[in-house]
Amino acid sequence: MSDASTAVAVSAPQPVQAARARSGFWMRLFRNPLTVAAAVWVTLLLLAWLWPGLLAPHDPYAGDVTLTRTFEGPSWDHWLGTDGQGRDLYSRVVFGARFAVNSILIAMVVAIGLGVPLGLFSGWRGGRADRVVMWVNDVLFSLPIVLLAMAVIIILEPSLPSAMLGVGIAMATRFVRLTRAVTLAEKEELYVDAARITGLSPPAILRRYITPNLLPSLIVQVAIISGAVILIGATLSFLGIGAKLDDPDWGVMLARARFDFRLEGIWQIVPAGGALVLTVLAFNLLGDGIRDSLGRDAASSSLTVPRKVALPPVVQLHASGAVLSIRDLAVGFPAPGGMVNRVLSDVSLEVFPGETLGVVGESGSGKSMTMLAALGLTPAPGYLSQGSVSFDGREVTFLPEQEWQEIRGRDIGMIFQEPVAALNPALRVGRQLMQSLLVHTDMSKSQARARAAELLAEVQVPDPERRLDQYPHEFSGGMAQRVGIAMALACEPKLLIADEPTTALDVTVQGQTLDLMAEVQQRHGMAVILITHDLGVIADAADRVLVMYAGQVVETASVSTLFSRPRHPYTRALLDTMPQSHRGHGDLPVIGGVVPSAAAWPDGCRFAPRCEFATDQCRTSVPLLEAVGTDLVRCVRHAEFEFGPHAETSA
Amino acid sequence: MARYIGIRLLAMIPLLFAIAVISFAIAVAMEARGSIAGSVCGEGATIECIAQVERQLGLDDPMPIRFVRWLASAATGDLGTSLTNQSVSVSSLIADRIGATLSIVAYSLVIGVAVGMAMGIVSAVRPGGVADRALSVASAALIAAPGFVLAMLLSWWLAVEWGWLSPAGYTRPSESITGWIRSITLPAIGLALPTVALVQRQLRSSMTNALQSRYVLAARARGIRRTSLIGEHALPNAMIPTVTAIGFRAAAALGLTFTVEVVFNINGMGTLLTNAIQTRNVTVLQGSMLVVGIVVLVVNLLVDISYGLLNPKVRLER
Repeated sequence: MSDASTAVAVSAPQPVQAARARSGFWMRLFRNPLTVAAAVWVTLLLLAWLWPGLLAPHDPYAGDVTLTRTFEGPSWDHWLGTDGQGRDLYSRVVFGARFAVNSILIAMVVAIGLGVPLGLFSGWRGGRADRVVMWVNDVLFSLPIVLLAMAVIIILEPSLPSAMLGVGIAMATRFVRLTRAVTLAEKEELYVDAARITGLSPPAILRRYITPNLLPSLIVQVAIISGAVILIGATLSFLGIGAKLDDPDWGVMLARARFDFRLEGIWQIVPAGGALVLTVLAFNLLGDGIRDSLGRDAASSSLTVPRKVALPPVVQLHASGAVLSIRDLAVGFPAPGGMVNRVLSDVSLEVFPGETLGVVGESGSGKSMTMLAALGLTPAPGYLSQGSVSFDGREVTFLPEQEWQEIRGRDIGMIFQEPVAALNPALRVGRQLMQSLLVHTDMSKSQARARAAELLAEVQVPDPERRLDQYPHEFSGGMAQRVGIAMALACEPKLLIADEPTTALDVTVQGQTLDLMAEVQQRHGMAVILITHDLGVIADAADRVLVMYAGQVVETASVSTLFSRPRHPYTRALLDTMPQSHRGHGDLPVIGGVVPSAAAWPDGCRFAPRCEFATDQCRTSVPLLEAVGTDLVRCVRHAEFEFGPHAETSA
Repeated sequence: MARYIGIRLLAMIPLLFAIAVISFAIAVAMEARGSIAGSVCGEGATIECIAQVERQLGLDDPMPIRFVRWLASAATGDLGTSLTNQSVSVSSLIADRIGATLSIVAYSLVIGVAVGMAMGIVSAVRPGGVADRALSVASAALIAAPGFVLAMLLSWWLAVEWGWLSPAGYTRPSESITGWIRSITLPAIGLALPTVALVQRQLRSSMTNALQSRYVLAARARGIRRTSLIGEHALPNAMIPTVTAIGFRAAAALGLTFTVEVVFNINGMGTLLTNAIQTRNVTVLQGSMLVVGIVVLVVNLLVDISYGLLNPKVRLER
């Protein structure tokens, strides 16, 4: 899954890029209509704070002396009606903005003034100072904010400013955490370290490195905490220990609505509650909008079923007798600007019963993606854009998920690269093993458990009964991979796909794992697809080999041909990097550069930029050409080359 | 696990001490700003009243001695007597009120977590889908709305639509179980709505991550059914961060019940605390602060334990 995206070069942001990123930020921010609406509302709030008289037609404190126009509904005179003293609710709501914004200002000055310096100090100093600050911070953090505010209110006096002082102290804990986390992360960065060694003073480092990294998250937090501050302010005013009883504060107005809890008076909830809810919502949406514009897009789940695309009605010729046959498979990923990155194109392969097909290539060549796509497991937002897959003579390209569930695990077993990550950390190993059996066979629970123990014994896990009740973290990598193999083989599949089964393991365990797979294959006669970047493994285990580069198949051959007479320069380069083939002195040769990411693939031969034999001919796209017999190669010059035999086969 | 819980229990001791210091510091800070006795006894303070209050607070002694004495009697459950009514002990006042507050908070958490989890799961299964977008909008609105406004709207709506005036006041479970549930249902729902939103958001995010994990991909490659992928594979892992979020919400809900209690005329900690603030009744506030602090610590302990139960690495620690 990660194959397609590993080869992205990372470089320090340049000023030009930063400027572009900034304008991109504003564009992204205001592309979302909700964020725009939130920004408009906050602007209105600030206007009402600065010049409430401009927006409010009436005096918020002056009631109707005759007390005849009380509890009115909305009218032309009073847009939002009147309260129990005949005061204009709309004007009171507008003046309420004063209290709201003042609350935010007081609380934020206190919270940021206390929290940010403390967080910087704590993160920068580390050690005991850090532990003491964080311990006190955690105690305060865990107490209800309302309660802390109450403590400050009783010490000072019941008023909105003292309430906000308390809220500010409580909120400071949030800023301490945030600032400390950013400082700690930045302190570890190499460039900060370098700056420190070259003698840049802490304030300068702070200004130059930490502030720019802190600012974005700080702004997001300020927006979201502003909403929370208004909520708590209203809560305290509602309880009668915040703003004064006469003030046009939203919380007080809600308290009045509660006081006049008759059907006529209850209308007051709507103006005050509405203003309160909309303001908090606006701050939250603004915070979310800023965060989303700074970060990446929302992730989509892997359960999302691949998008169906209308495929051209082409008759696909699948090799008869093949267990798995893939024809002209292509996978696309949506890219910025409505473009599509095709991370795989024209991939074809087949594997026959009892045969082991090796698939080699560097990281990012599309080996794993091919297998996932073939099994209907294309990770979202990628989708199958072309091609046909047949399993055991049956067309499975767009099989519904339910029917796939019958095949996966029963007829096709898959082994993953990182054995521990492929096991669910929260479930017992036995339970995970039994699950496959319970789903695909009609075994009872006790039969499945007995079979699971048998399977573990088969893959030479000692003490299987006890191991069944253990969790994945109690397994070493090698043992976990044995579990992975046992799971893949649980239902005696016709096809086993092993995706880098030995890469994450110790060298000693690698051999044992491969031997185990070979032994099982002989016993069950299944087909195996072995994905690896290790040609040594291929030489040991494969019958036929498929070489992939940049989402394409570049060469197929039998294993002996591939090692004795590689036809593609990339294959040759791969063989040269094998330690076994290196007989001379000096450094082991490497292939210069990395597999470029899908967006950067050239139009012509994709290997050309790294190929020492590239000429002008290589600028146009290259089809797979027949070399000899069924061997294929994607190189226009292959006939000219005579790459010598390799150590592996000559030894 | 026993060791894990033991360590958590030991870690509570310094926290308890810190909360005691904060609670005690309130009286010290008030004293520093002016006579507590003066403000408690009011404008026409009699000498007897002031002497009485000062004796109750033990103001003659140096501060460390007062703290130790206060802490020692607090440890035996004696939190002093109310400054405004010397015949009533603070512990009995709190004991009288805290039941209502705790029932509402606990009830609201049950509702909030159950509904929020259901919503979070639905969202995470198809992020960006119609249901997810609708639920996320609902959550954004609920997070912005204070519980007491929702509670007021709820009782208004019930009164208008059903002509059913919500039962005001609190019925103790010892009087009538059904009456008790009736009296706390509406307040709990009001308080639960923001919890629903919070749980939905957290679970949606952690569940989306879990569903994108290697082990879910591997389970899919084994043909494991969708319901099991969601319920058995993704959910337990996604609940680990969610439990932490629920813990924070529980503490916040404890502070926010006060308003819901006022809406429904329930004599809980909310009215006790607001009255104590208005009358500058510092012994009541100190005691309440200490008790609420202890409740928060117990909640945190429960969160830690469920965290351990969900995470086998922690559970199997020896």
